Amino acid sequence: MIELNIPPVLVYVVGAALLPLVGRGRVRRWFLVAVAVLGLVSAFTLKPQTSWVVPFSGFELVFLHADRLSLIMGYIFSFIGAAAILYGLDVVRENGEYICGLLYLGSALGAVFAGDFFTLYIFWEIMAFSSLGLVWYSRTERARNAGMRYILFHLFGGCAFLAGIVIHYMSTGSIAVGPVETGVGYFLLLMGIGVNTAFIPLHTWLPDAYPKATIAGAVFMSVYTTKTGVYVLARTFPGVEAVAYMGGVMALYGVIFALMQNDVRKLLSYHIVSQVGYMVAGIGIGTAIGIDGGIAHVFNHILYKALLFMCMGAVIYRTGRNNLTDLGGLARKMPVTMITCVIAALSISGVVGFNGYISKGMVIHAAEESHMHLLALALMLGSVGTFLSFLKLTYYTFFRRNEGIEAREAPLPMLIAMSVTAFFCVAIGVYPKMLYVILPYPEVAMEYRAYAPGHTAGTLELLLMTAFMFAALKVLIAPHERITYDIDYLYRKAGRGVIWFCEKPLMAFASAIDTDLRRLAGSFVWFSRNPAMASVVLLNATATRLGLMKPPAHAYGYRGEEKDDLSWEVPVKAIEEPRERLSIGTGILLVVIFFLLYLIVMLTHGWLA
Amino acid sequence: MKVHTPLSLILMIACIVALVGLALLAYTYNGEIKGFYLLCGAIGVVFFLLATNVLSLIQKEGRYDD
Repeated sequence: MIELNIPPVLVYVVGAALLPLVGRGRVRRWFLVAVAVLGLVSAFTLKPQTSWVVPFSGFELVFLHADRLSLIMGYIFSFIGAAAILYGLDVVRENGEYICGLLYLGSALGAVFAGDFFTLYIFWEIMAFSSLGLVWYSRTERARNAGMRYILFHLFGGCAFLAGIVIHYMSTGSIAVGPVETGVGYFLLLMGIGVNTAFIPLHTWLPDAYPKATIAGAVFMSVYTTKTGVYVLARTFPGVEAVAYMGGVMALYGVIFALMQNDVRKLLSYHIVSQVGYMVAGIGIGTAIGIDGGIAHVFNHILYKALLFMCMGAVIYRTGRNNLTDLGGLARKMPVTMITCVIAALSISGVVGFNGYISKGMVIHAAEESHMHLLALALMLGSVGTFLSFLKLTYYTFFRRNEGIEAREAPLPMLIAMSVTAFFCVAIGVYPKMLYVILPYPEVAMEYRAYAPGHTAGTLELLLMTAFMFAALKVLIAPHERITYDIDYLYRKAGRGVIWFCEKPLMAFASAIDTDLRRLAGSFVWFSRNPAMASVVLLNATATRLGLMKPPAHAYGYRGEEKDDLSWEVPVKAIEEPRERLSIGTGILLVVIFFLLYLIVMLTHGWLA
Repeated sequence: MKVHTPLSLILMIACIVALVGLALLAYTYNGEIKGFYLLCGAIGVVFFLLATNVLSLIQKEGRYDD
């Protein structure tokens, strides 16, 4: 059996480095397929181990730490990476876009196989910058602006993450990826991870940037950033109740905003927030079944969400339209896309027989077992909203009558990628044991009865009622050409405020300081030219101002004017004393003054004690 | 923004219905009551419709968000 035993990140980074050498024709296609296959082999043949340990500046950086948790992430990342590479073969024109995609995929794999926080942080940041390329390759002004907001958010998250790591290291002396002690570092790490995991209200970069990415870029982006966040959360914050309830909030918040969207990819982006909520809830519950449920949902979500982005990408590619109000009537024109999209929609909605049903059920079951009934109810309501939202998406994209739309089926590489992904959505739903065996706690997962009669009947009741209500109240959730404000409205307002503050009051203050410093420096120069004369002039000026004496007109060249009138300097020649001696004296005086100040500061701060 | 009285009245009534429904769900939640999931589905749909309609008050006409 082939066993590469190398970090999968290497395959993709080397692939990205060599890509410019293969041009843009048929060779590029085969090269990319080879990279995808090699990446799959490198991830699927890994055994649990800790290797590729590199000593660096007193630390041991671990580039390959493979255990059950990282391996399952490696499997799904490399699988969907291969599907995304295949999907983009006919769509991606520029090599740069593929390079960004490969670096993004590689760095995500580097992050999940990192054995220490510093290595994790390095890949974390590479992910942010490489994914930015996938947004900017759209080459539109909207994409450029959204990319800028995206990277600002991730830089903020990265700074918080790094600060958390440093504080954690200083308090424990360890950089191994693992649970974190409570303190400032704990909150900074949670905030840094929260940005990538799209915690409310740190989520706004996601629905802002993903819809503006390139068609293939959005498929990559829907997979890696948030799921890497969930993975790190599972390593560092398992069983934190507040995290579990944050998951419940995310599940509902994402659905509500998704229901209001007109742009298909924005709708899907809000559903990432919602579905990541289920994963976060599972991790936050922290029991074996909770962690299994959360990670199973990561696995399943990657499959169906990537598939949804592929389907909507195909629709946009063929029609040039991305708003629900402009779509419709595509069921007959793009039948394979329609079928795969319906499979993905049923999967994400947790319909019985599809993969989402398995993992959602596990998370809700874990919440019930842990007596978190409110959380379980929130997650159940989230399922209702998700089904409602995807009834809307599929109906208005494929089934609503629209005679005016022109389209044909997506290119073959796209269809292959979509069909294979759809197959696994159904396969895992029908035979969940193939997923159970690779979960972190397989023995616990095996005990979970996904198709228990009560659970199955209950889910069917819930979804049938939702479908009935959708049919009855369809008119109320019909798409409109409207823009929905999210919390990012406040961020943008605040951002404009910050820019105004920097440009107006802060700049005015800075220039005032600048002017005063120049004036002060000028005064020192003036004084040092002839300290004795300057002292006399200053004393005279002070006495005159205080009314103690009349202005000594023209004495020593002073004409009763301001001290910066340099014309008085000429008569300075009247003083015959050597300047050097005076300068030394002044210098000594200044030294003494500074020394005194230094002593005062040291004494007041107790440094001499 | 001008809000017509009938709309606000309808929203208010619907909010009360949804809140009562959610309270009923939370109270009866154990998954063993017959028709619990049907009730959950119906109340869930009403809840989401209400939430989206309330939030639509802060929407603005247009195709792009920036």
